[in-house]
Amino acid sequence: MSIEEQYRTRAKELLSGGAVKMVIGYSKGSNASRRRPLFISSPDDVDRLVLDDACIQNLSGYLVSEGLLSDEKRVAVFLRPEGIRAINILAAESQLDAEQIVVFGFDVIGNEVQALKVIHVEEFSDVINSIKERAPEAAEEELFERIEKMSPKERFSFWQEEFSKCIKCYACRQACPMCYCRRCIVDSNQPQWVNTSSHTLGNFEWNIVRAFHLSGRCVECGNCDRACPVNIPLRLINHRMAEEVLGAFDHFAGTSKTQEPVLASFKKDDSETFIL
Amino acid sequence: MSETFEPEIIAFVCTYCTYAGADLAGTSRLKYAPNVRIIRLPCTGRISPMFILKALQKGADGVLISGCHPGDCHFTHGNYHARRRWMVFRALLDFIGIPPERVKYSWISAAEGVKFAEFINTVTEDIRKLGPFEQYTQLIEQTQAPASL
Repeated sequence: MSIEEQYRTRAKELLSGGAVKMVIGYSKGSNASRRRPLFISSPDDVDRLVLDDACIQNLSGYLVSEGLLSDEKRVAVFLRPEGIRAINILAAESQLDAEQIVVFGFDVIGNEVQALKVIHVEEFSDVINSIKERAPEAAEEELFERIEKMSPKERFSFWQEEFSKCIKCYACRQACPMCYCRRCIVDSNQPQWVNTSSHTLGNFEWNIVRAFHLSGRCVECGNCDRACPVNIPLRLINHRMAEEVLGAFDHFAGTSKTQEPVLASFKKDDSETFIL
Repeated sequence: MSETFEPEIIAFVCTYCTYAGADLAGTSRLKYAPNVRIIRLPCTGRISPMFILKALQKGADGVLISGCHPGDCHFTHGNYHARRRWMVFRALLDFIGIPPERVKYSWISAAEGVKFAEFINTVTEDIRKLGPFEQYTQLIEQTQAPASL
């Protein structure tokens, strides 16, 4: 029995037994290579669930939708390892109770979909640690290295070019499971920290703020990158930040639901070589 | 160059240490570069990266941040939190192409008036050597927007 069928059967069991009130998974998308998030609450709909190597979106962001978990019922969700890390971070930041989440874990290695057998978030620590060991590589390794080698001036020009395309649609924010603030800093206008019009300066500021707020929290699922309508390589910035917190503070985001957020904690002997 | 470039530098300082240090420098009649505009804050932990971006957005050529030595924080650990934040923020600025040399950090206590004066002088000199932050100034000009703050 394929993993898809196994998970369909399990979803059916959970829904008809009332163990979960909803299953969040994937269904067919607008064309053969796309998958669309699917929200089902009736056992009759489980046949619409699809699971294959095109299921790339991180669905964990839907769990913090307002009111979804407030009735303390359980919700099942299809997650890749990055999604499971995202759940850990959301739990660590008190945005949800990990007990309420039933995980349909899977990973895609090559083109092969593999099941991650367990169902509770805390049982995935081995999987997550093995990813940490592997040290995830930037999606576009080559470009990342090229940027690293540039002089500050060239780097500025590179990002100037990229950010000039930004239209401030905030799709990156919308797609990100970590951007759950009710009121984002760019929406506040007293004071107006970030320029609202989409000129390049405002775009610089927005993208810097976005990346900063995600540093030490980003799981590099790539939702922002894929959501960007003008294809700004946002993932590279996030990757640089993840690399920094791993190197400087040995912090790998989302290893457990009790992990302290990296920028809300400190060690007395943190590095301070840059301070005069 | 006939005229030397006078950089505009914004300093965000903690009221319990560096601001008192600046006061000491003043009462000791120490002379230091007049390019720095000091903004006093309750703690280095209060210094949001947004402040740094805002200073640059308003045309600062350099930003300077200073507070209590580790262990001396009035609020016991505000500066430890700030230190982590800067570490990450520095890396981010560097990756985006804003030279980290334009944003300087230091610990200056209330007793270090001399260190304060020297620090201001060296930073001003360093930023003068770097010259105006032209790439950013160009972006500011493009916006053609009056200051929003």
